[in-house]
Amino acid sequence: MRAQAMTMSLTEDQRDCYQEITNVAMGQAADRLARLLDVYVILPIPKVNMISASELHMALADTATSDNVSAVCQGFIGSGIAGEALLVFNDASFSDLAQIMNYKGPLDQHGELELLMDVSSVLIGACIHGIGDQIEVSFNQGHPVVLGQHCQVDDLVKSGNHQWSQTLAIEIHYEIENLNISCDLLLLFTEDSVAKINQQVDYLLD
Amino acid sequence: MALPVLICDDSSFARKQMKRALPDDWDIELTFASNGVEGVEAIRQGKGEVVFLDLTMPELDGYGVLEMIRKEDLPAMVIVVSGDIQPDAQQRVKKLGAMAFVKKPIDKAKTVEILTEFGILSES
Amino acid sequence: MTKPGVEFAELHWLMDVLQSIDVGLVILDRDYKIQLWNGFMENHSGLPPDQVHDKSLFESFGDIPETWFRQKAEPVFELKTRTFTIWEQRPYLFKFKNSRPITGRSSTMYQNSSLIPLESVNGDVNHICLIIYDVTDIAVNQGDLISANGHLAYLSQTDSLTELFNRGFWEQEFQREHKRCSRTSTPCSLVMFDIDHFKNVNDTYGHQAGDEVIRTLASIVRQTARETDICGRYGGEEFTILLVDTDAEAATIFTERLRKKVAALVINIDDKEIKFTISSGIAEYSSNFIKHTQWIEAADKALYHAKGNGRNKTTVYQSK
Repeated sequence: MRAQAMTMSLTEDQRDCYQEITNVAMGQAADRLARLLDVYVILPIPKVNMISASELHMALADTATSDNVSAVCQGFIGSGIAGEALLVFNDASFSDLAQIMNYKGPLDQHGELELLMDVSSVLIGACIHGIGDQIEVSFNQGHPVVLGQHCQVDDLVKSGNHQWSQTLAIEIHYEIENLNISCDLLLLFTEDSVAKINQQVDYLLD
Repeated sequence: MALPVLICDDSSFARKQMKRALPDDWDIELTFASNGVEGVEAIRQGKGEVVFLDLTMPELDGYGVLEMIRKEDLPAMVIVVSGDIQPDAQQRVKKLGAMAFVKKPIDKAKTVEILTEFGILSES
Repeated sequence: MTKPGVEFAELHWLMDVLQSIDVGLVILDRDYKIQLWNGFMENHSGLPPDQVHDKSLFESFGDIPETWFRQKAEPVFELKTRTFTIWEQRPYLFKFKNSRPITGRSSTMYQNSSLIPLESVNGDVNHICLIIYDVTDIAVNQGDLISANGHLAYLSQTDSLTELFNRGFWEQEFQREHKRCSRTSTPCSLVMFDIDHFKNVNDTYGHQAGDEVIRTLASIVRQTARETDICGRYGGEEFTILLVDTDAEAATIFTERLRKKVAALVINIDDKEIKFTISSGIAEYSSNFIKHTQWIEAADKALYHAKGNGRNKTTVYQSK
């Protein structure tokens, strides 16, 4: 058996720190969304874990149900830390979302895409920058990519195609009070980034 | 006499950050609580005349703590320190009797400002 | 605002844009030392500007072949011409690791680049600008397209059950060989064989068993035949093999070997043991076969003869 690469794991302190940092960033993102839509966003505690490539599907399956979903993915990079943010929307959310966003157009594929783009810009952008502010990294965002509309969660990410074996994953759930609107934000960092982020975090923990 | 101050937050990292944001040379007796239930208990024991309170906590959240304080008429001046900064959250918290609402991450300057504003720290 | 104030604001905006734009910008002086290193380059390389400023490009990035790059860049300095590199000629200039754990399909970034001259006040070119474009998605999709096309081609030529050539494609290849045979003098033999009493196999053991028999036979054919032999599934239980550079005698040896292997075979399906045999006809190429169909007819006649003479045997076509 050849010597396997070190499996990385998080110390309790590190995990706690990530949760707190994400909590604050989520709060900022929710605040923007709340002001934009004049609603109240329910914020549960984010889940922070090291996952393997094969567990990515499970992490996604955790999020949505067997209903159809639509998803947007956006990359971010800065100071040697890079990753992608995946925003998964339950398709059932669109009609309520259209209502509170005062969207007047037809709620067809194109209309839904507009809404998806608007909401994801707010949530992903605020979250990434919220995290960046706290760990003192300035993140640059890439172009958003539509991973799928009206598909199953399983179809969003091609399995077995990943260039990494283990990495840091943060899962955030957003729900709007009294409305049928919910989505999940999955932040996935590159394997190489993890050491760097841990470094920043450890520096903050001192 | 040292002022009893309570920091109530489920994240140990956040508690540390809050502690670091307290003014230097502040004559206080500091207690920590990691959820709302512990927090209320500490306040009942007189350990929280000034409370720095998080909102999202297990067992009993920040709103729950504020409600208990009001119900039992406990002598606590509550400063909510939270990541959840939505307008609604701020409103609810004020209605429940919190003195102030500060968004995370908090720093020393901000803490001093708030404490001075409410007369807890005298201007020097 | 006074005019200089306006210009300054615009310059400031331009700098902001250059810093955050999604393209890599590197300015090199005449000695190939880095004078500008924008946000894109910093983010993907992990090296901040102060670590690369005034350093030779080649020292900081050993992956860039110096001679090749200088050859590309000198004309830009000397002749003020623009030049380009594309990912198809060279996958990347700078080796940047994949930064997309979810959608990234390549371990490194594919890049296109442009080299443009920057004129100084007196018209000389003492600096060039290297622009780096991330074209990973295009490159990966192109790769997908090529392999998809390859797969499609495979699908259209192959019989799915046996993985031998399907009839249509086999006949095409056979025709080509026939033409070649008419020009050269090397012998070629066509073998045509089928499974004896196959209908019985299907009736007795069911169609799934029948399929398994065909599949097994095909795999034996693939094992026994050479790379150059052209094997196809001609009909339901009928097969053809074109043995290139083989005369009738050698073909007979080959076919007999195959026949014996098959006769000795026992296939186990659902606790049942199935045995079967094949009959074969061989026809060596003759210039009498003006059309390729005549060659096939000859082999077919030989096969028919083998069937008529007790089956489980090989017959060679003899022209009368």
